[in-house]
Amino acid sequence: MRNLLSKFVVLTFFAITSNAAIQAQDVIGYITKSATNAGWMMINQGAEDAAAEEGVKLVSVGPAFQGDLSSQLEVFENLVAQGAKAIGIAPVDSAGVAPAVTDAMSSGIPIIAIDTGVSGADVTSFVATDNYAVAKVQGAISATLVNDGDTVIYVTGNQAQSTGQERRNGFMEAFSAARPGSKILEVPTEWNSQQAQEGVEAVLNSNSDVKMVVNAWDGGTMGAKAALENLGYSAGDVKLVGFDGASDAIAAMDEGWVHADTAQMLYQMGYQGIKAAAAAARGETVSSRIDTGFFLVTPSTSGVYKKMVGIN
Amino acid sequence: MSEKLTDSIIKALVRFFRAEWSGAFIAIFILAIAIEFSTSGRPFFHPTNLMTILNNSAAIGIVAGGMTLVIITSGIDLSVGSVMGMTAALTGYVCSFWGFPPWMAILTGLSIGLLVGAFQGVLVAYFGMPAFIATLAGLSIWRGTGHLSTGAQATPKLPIDFDTFGRFNPFLNIRNEFKAGNLEGFWATFGNFVDSNWLNFFRTFQMSMLIFILFFLILSIIIANTRYGRYIYAIGSNALGARQSGINTSLYTMMTYMLCSLSAAFGALLFLGRAPYAKSDYGQMWELDAIAAVVIGGTSLFGGRGSLWGTFMGVILLKLINNGLTLAQLDTFWQMVVTGLIILLAVGIDLVRQSKNSKNVRKLLVAVSSFMAFLTMMTPASLYLKAKISLLEHNASKNLQIAGEKLANGQTARLLGPKEIDDLQQIILSNTSISFLCLILFILSLLPIFSLNKLLAIFTSICFILLIIPIVNIGYAVTIPFLIFGVIVLIMSLFVDLIFERARKLDSFIS
Repeated sequence: MRNLLSKFVVLTFFAITSNAAIQAQDVIGYITKSATNAGWMMINQGAEDAAAEEGVKLVSVGPAFQGDLSSQLEVFENLVAQGAKAIGIAPVDSAGVAPAVTDAMSSGIPIIAIDTGVSGADVTSFVATDNYAVAKVQGAISATLVNDGDTVIYVTGNQAQSTGQERRNGFMEAFSAARPGSKILEVPTEWNSQQAQEGVEAVLNSNSDVKMVVNAWDGGTMGAKAALENLGYSAGDVKLVGFDGASDAIAAMDEGWVHADTAQMLYQMGYQGIKAAAAAARGETVSSRIDTGFFLVTPSTSGVYKKMVGIN
Repeated sequence: MSEKLTDSIIKALVRFFRAEWSGAFIAIFILAIAIEFSTSGRPFFHPTNLMTILNNSAAIGIVAGGMTLVIITSGIDLSVGSVMGMTAALTGYVCSFWGFPPWMAILTGLSIGLLVGAFQGVLVAYFGMPAFIATLAGLSIWRGTGHLSTGAQATPKLPIDFDTFGRFNPFLNIRNEFKAGNLEGFWATFGNFVDSNWLNFFRTFQMSMLIFILFFLILSIIIANTRYGRYIYAIGSNALGARQSGINTSLYTMMTYMLCSLSAAFGALLFLGRAPYAKSDYGQMWELDAIAAVVIGGTSLFGGRGSLWGTFMGVILLKLINNGLTLAQLDTFWQMVVTGLIILLAVGIDLVRQSKNSKNVRKLLVAVSSFMAFLTMMTPASLYLKAKISLLEHNASKNLQIAGEKLANGQTARLLGPKEIDDLQQIILSNTSISFLCLILFILSLLPIFSLNKLLAIFTSICFILLIIPIVNIGYAVTIPFLIFGVIVLIMSLFVDLIFERARKLDSFIS
């Protein structure tokens, strides 16, 4: 019994001292949107690398399922209570997280929004691709792949989110300006590749003159590719255009399916986001908008892109 | 002679409405016609489109088939989506990374499904854990296990053998042989036929659809003809009674959960046959879709009553909604609203059907006709309301501006120019009187729900017809089908009592 007690004392002592060692490191909270989506895994990797480089402790947490606002809010409050020095968050709902963000900011915790902005609250910095601008590039490059008057399909993202809205609007504007005679048929999704596959299959079945499928994200690109395969098309029969630069879409580009993909610098988004969070935690000033840029991947530039982001 | 004809029509009607799937079937029928009218291009009823719907229903359909059995025993299985995701991911994983040949990977996936079912079945049947709780835990456990064991990474593209359960087309070979010129005689003619009808028919003739239909055929034969089938209905309607009459209820309940998880694993296989790769996040929210399909199909959540073919219709209805609304290019947010309304319609028909009461049928028909009046009304009224709301928002923002407040982005966007205000006022003016007329008709059409007076129903029908004149005058001829359909339904409601009386008489002759 006594032996046990002394063991307990020693253990507690260790626990306290090791805890002190951790506390010497700044704790940065990182709330991601998904831990299972291929694109998000690249962002998360960037975040971890930045934390290792900065010598901060990264506590990263994801929602129970993609789009779960309530669990994200809960995690946010837990991080604030645990005394995180700064928090990087990719909100699943731009407006939904605003009150919690305002609270944290007013109690002096810097908040970095990553990938998706927060509407209705100020943040320390917003680190993301300019979705609208990149979608316009996607629209313009798509227009060069078809003739005026050709029918095309656009697979949307969630239209209740700013990311989905900006990508759709950017594409529509740029594409319609360059190809005013073309009809755009929409396949609505909530970032779900199964919806993309079934929708594209349905539309292709009733419109045999579709020349191209443009996607708001690369999960949609892969769904659209599966739909084309299901209907017996071969690579290149109907052109595919992606958004994100995810590794599976780039592989499909090498096989001749995908003709263009506006890649977000996903890794950079996580990396620069946590760098900014660490800097803000130390009390340095950070720029309020960090644009992580994009890269236009086409069959001729895919080699450069793959080398840059480390796809074999 | 004509009496015989009406009698046989009535008999057919009675037989139709006795089937549990009739509610879902009517909903499918109405929706399909509506979509047919609102889509351009290739007709909605085209066989390739119908086959596409069947192909895409296959995976979730088989999952829902297993769910039907569980719900008939008055249980529930919330884990099917996670089990489907986990088995899909693991089947692909062992095939891609452990070097398993496809058939062994498939057996692995199915065995995992069976084991999961046995685990949950034991918890429910032998440990008395509520099915809702045991399978809710499963929902979380199996999803997590799937993510953990595969690192939530997608596999490379699976071997072509998996296509056998999905996109494989039995006619593709014949077509290729024909195109290569290897066929002779009858086969050459047949090959030519396949090739020339490829886009119109054969392209979408795929294994998914065939397996889907075969699965339901076999399962429904089993349920109708075996002891197992009779026992699960007995367990569902009265578990205590079933046990007292000597049925090993625990054993059969456990078997049902095993069958359900096995169906989920089999559904995963069908999904892999059409998917780009295997991944552990497949099947999210499928438990809800499966339950919705079962309930739409007329199966009672309290157990003891239901049919597999109802579920079949339910699944098709759900997929039809997605497919049709996408083809009709309806706005995303409207799709959500319409989906819910159609589910209400199917379940509403089912409720009335079960009540076997002529008054309820009459009320339903009158409700349908007033819904038609509502649709007619909304054609001008939506324009009227939209314009009114825009003006209201403009005024509210203007007042804020005058009060010297800083306007947010959304608020400035609601400020209007003088020309826009003029246009809106024009819209309001031209739609006021016709909206008002339609509103009167709508209110009038609600009255027969509360009073079963026949004269009132006849009077309302006449008003429906009379409204056509002013509404066409003002340029809303599109609403004529609504009005005519409303009249037809209203007149039908007058004959409901007669039909019921006759049906009862015929029934007593038959039995």
